[in-house]
Amino acid sequence: MSSDSTLFSNRWLPVLLVAPMMLLIALFFYVPIFQAFYWSFFLERPFGGGSEFVGLDNFARVLADPEFWKAGWRTIIFMVTASSLAVLVPLILAVAADRKIRLSLPARNVLVWPKGVAGASIGVVFAFIFNPFVGILAPLNSIFPGIWAPGINGTDAFITLIAAHVWGGIPFNFVILLAGLQSIPRTMHQAAAMDGAGPWRRIFDVQLPLIMPQLFLTLVLEFTESVTSAFALIDTITNGGPGGATTLLVYKIYMDGFSGYDLSGASTQTAILMVFVIILTAAQFIFLGRRVNYER
Amino acid sequence: MKISVLAAATALAMCAGAAHAADIEFWYGNTGNVETAIKAQCDAFNAAQSEHRVTCVGQGSYEVGMQKAIAAYRAKNHPVLIQFFDAGTLDLLLSGAVVPVQDVLPDVNWNNYIAGARSYYETSNGKLYSQPYNSSTLLFYTNKTELEKAGVSKTPVTWEEIIEAARRLKAAGHACPFVTDGDTWRVLEQFSARHGLPIASKHNGYDGLDGEYVFNTTFAAKHLANLVEWRKEGLVKLNADTKAGNYTAAFNTGECAMMEGSSGSYAASAKAFEGKYEITVGMAPMYQGYERHNTFVGGASIYIMKGHDKAEIEGAKAFLDFLRHPQQQMFFTAATGYVPVTNDVLDVIAESGEADSPKYATAAIGIESMNQPHTPDTRGIRLGFYVQFREVFMEETQKAFAGQQTMQVALDSAKKRGDELLRRFEQTYKGAKLP
Repeated sequence: MSSDSTLFSNRWLPVLLVAPMMLLIALFFYVPIFQAFYWSFFLERPFGGGSEFVGLDNFARVLADPEFWKAGWRTIIFMVTASSLAVLVPLILAVAADRKIRLSLPARNVLVWPKGVAGASIGVVFAFIFNPFVGILAPLNSIFPGIWAPGINGTDAFITLIAAHVWGGIPFNFVILLAGLQSIPRTMHQAAAMDGAGPWRRIFDVQLPLIMPQLFLTLVLEFTESVTSAFALIDTITNGGPGGATTLLVYKIYMDGFSGYDLSGASTQTAILMVFVIILTAAQFIFLGRRVNYER
Repeated sequence: MKISVLAAATALAMCAGAAHAADIEFWYGNTGNVETAIKAQCDAFNAAQSEHRVTCVGQGSYEVGMQKAIAAYRAKNHPVLIQFFDAGTLDLLLSGAVVPVQDVLPDVNWNNYIAGARSYYETSNGKLYSQPYNSSTLLFYTNKTELEKAGVSKTPVTWEEIIEAARRLKAAGHACPFVTDGDTWRVLEQFSARHGLPIASKHNGYDGLDGEYVFNTTFAAKHLANLVEWRKEGLVKLNADTKAGNYTAAFNTGECAMMEGSSGSYAASAKAFEGKYEITVGMAPMYQGYERHNTFVGGASIYIMKGHDKAEIEGAKAFLDFLRHPQQQMFFTAATGYVPVTNDVLDVIAESGEADSPKYATAAIGIESMNQPHTPDTRGIRLGFYVQFREVFMEETQKAFAGQQTMQVALDSAKKRGDELLRRFEQTYKGAKLP
C-alpha cells in the first residue's frame, strides 16, 4: 500500500473527512454503550431518580438466570446455523453465476435486489409466506394437519426465522463472493483445466482457496451481524414466541428494557452480549484470520 | 450546522409558546377505530374553545407510548397528558413523574366514577391518580347465528354451558367453537377477579411491595389446565390455530363462534357482523358454584405529567374536563364499545331513549360486570414489573398449550419468575412507599 501522505497533502484533511462519521458513531454507539455499562452497575428506575449502586449484583443475577442462558444458547444456535447458511447459499449462487451458465447475467442483477429491503419488511413478507393457512406450506398442512405450525411449534418458528435471515443475507454476500470469483484470472482456470481438473476440482482447489479473504470477510460480518440483526425479523414474525422459542438475547434485551422497564437488567445483558461479540470477533481473527492469505 | 438547527428549533419553540399560551400535547397508544374516535375528540375540543389547543399524538401502542414517555421525561421533553394502560399503573404511581389528577382538579366530583374503575387507579387512601379514559372490561361474545345453526338456542353463561355448546358446534362440523388468545389479562386477571381469587398475596400488591404470586395455587390453575384439555379436544382455539391468525379477527369473520374479549372490540365486531350474523354480548362466563365478583377495569387512563407550567396545566385540566363530559363519553362509547365509567353518563344514556340501542350495548353490561360484589382481591393489580410478568405468563403457558410441559409446571415456573421480578422491583424502589 502506498503511504497516506501521497493521498492527502494536508495531514488534517483525512481527520476532517472522517470526523462526521466518528461523531455519529460516538453519539449513537459509544455514548449508549457507555450508558449501558454504567447502568449495569446500578438499579435504575425507569423515570429516573433514586438509582442505587449495586456493584456486580446485576451481573450475578443475570448469570444465574436460566432464561438468560436459554436465550444465549438460542442466539448461538441461530448464529451458527443462520450465518453459515447465509454464506453457503450465496456462495453456491455466486459460483453458479460466475460460470457462464444461462441467465447468469440477469441473475447477478436480480440477486442483489433484496439488499434494498429492510429487515422488518422481510419479516412481514416471510410471516405471510410461511403462514400455515395461506403460505407455501399450506398444501402440506392440508395433507398432514398441524405438521407446519410456526405459531405453536417453536422449531417451525425458528426455521422461519433462519429462512428469512438467509434470504436477507444473500445480496451482500453474493456481491462480495462474486467479486472475489471474478477477480480470479482466467489463466488460472485455463491452466487447471489443461492439467485435467474438472469443474468441481477447480472449485475446491482453485476458486475457494483464492476467495478465502472474501469468505472470511462475509463469515466475520455474518457472525457478528446475526447476533443483532435478527431483531427486526423476530419483532415482525414471531415476537419471540411461541413460548419464548425464538427469544434470542437481542430480543430479550429489548423486551426486558422497553416492554418491562427493567433498564438495569437490559443494560447488564447488553454489556454481556457486547463482550461476547468482541471475544467472538477477536477469536475469528486470531484463529481463522491468520490462515487467510491475502496475496495472490 | 448542528448548533444552527438547535437554535432554529429553540426559536421556533419560543415563537409557538408565545402564540398560544396553552399548547398542550396528549400522547395515546390506540390504533384503528379507537384512534379515529380519540382524534375526533381532540378536534372537537379544539373547535369548542379557542383558549387552549391540544395536539394529540398517536404512539402506535401503549408500550411504545410508555417507552417514549420514559425517554421524553428523562430528556425533560414530555407531554402534559399521557394515556397509560392498566398494567403500568404501579410503575406510574412510584415514578414520581406524574401528579394525581385529584390534586390538580380537587373540585371535580370523583365519586361519580364507579367503584370498579376507581379502585384500580386510586391510592390506598382513595385519591384518584389518573382519570379513567378508555375503560373496558372482559365480556363474552357469541355468534348467535352460528350457535343456532348448531342447535344451541340459549346463549351460554357458564363455562360448563360454553363447553357443551362448543361440543355441539364441533359435532355440527364447526372448526372453531371458542377462541381466545390466552392473554394474561383475559385468562388470568379477569378470570381471577370475577371468581374472587387472588393473583398475588398482599391483596395483589395493594398492601405492600413484598407480595408473592399465588395464582398457581388457586382455581385459576384448574381453569387454565381445562383450557389445555379443551384445546386438545378441538373446542378451544388459540390465535395461531385460526386462519385469521388473531382471535378477534377470527371471531369477526365468522370463523370462530364464541370469544372472550374486551368491550373495546365490540364496535369492530358489530360492524363486521352487519348483515351476516347476529352478535350477542354478555358478562364473562363463570364456573358453576362460584359467586360472581367484579371484573377489573381494563384499557387505559390519562395521567398528568410533572414539570409543566401553569398555563399548560390549565389546558390539561380543560381537556380532561371536556373528556369527562357525558356527551363526550357517550360519543366515545358509541364509536368504540369502551365503557363509560361515571354514573352520570349512565343516567344520561337511560334518559336518551337509546339505552337499548346497540351502540350502547356494552355500556350497561360492562358497568354491571364491574359493579359486582368486591373483595380486597378484586380491587386491581398493584404488582411491580407487571408488564414483564404478563410476557412471562404468556411464554410459560404457550409452552403448556404446545404440550412441552403441563399447565401446572408452566404456572409454577411463571410464579417463580414472577416472584423474582417482584423482588427486584422491591429492591429497585427501596424506600419508596405505595401512595
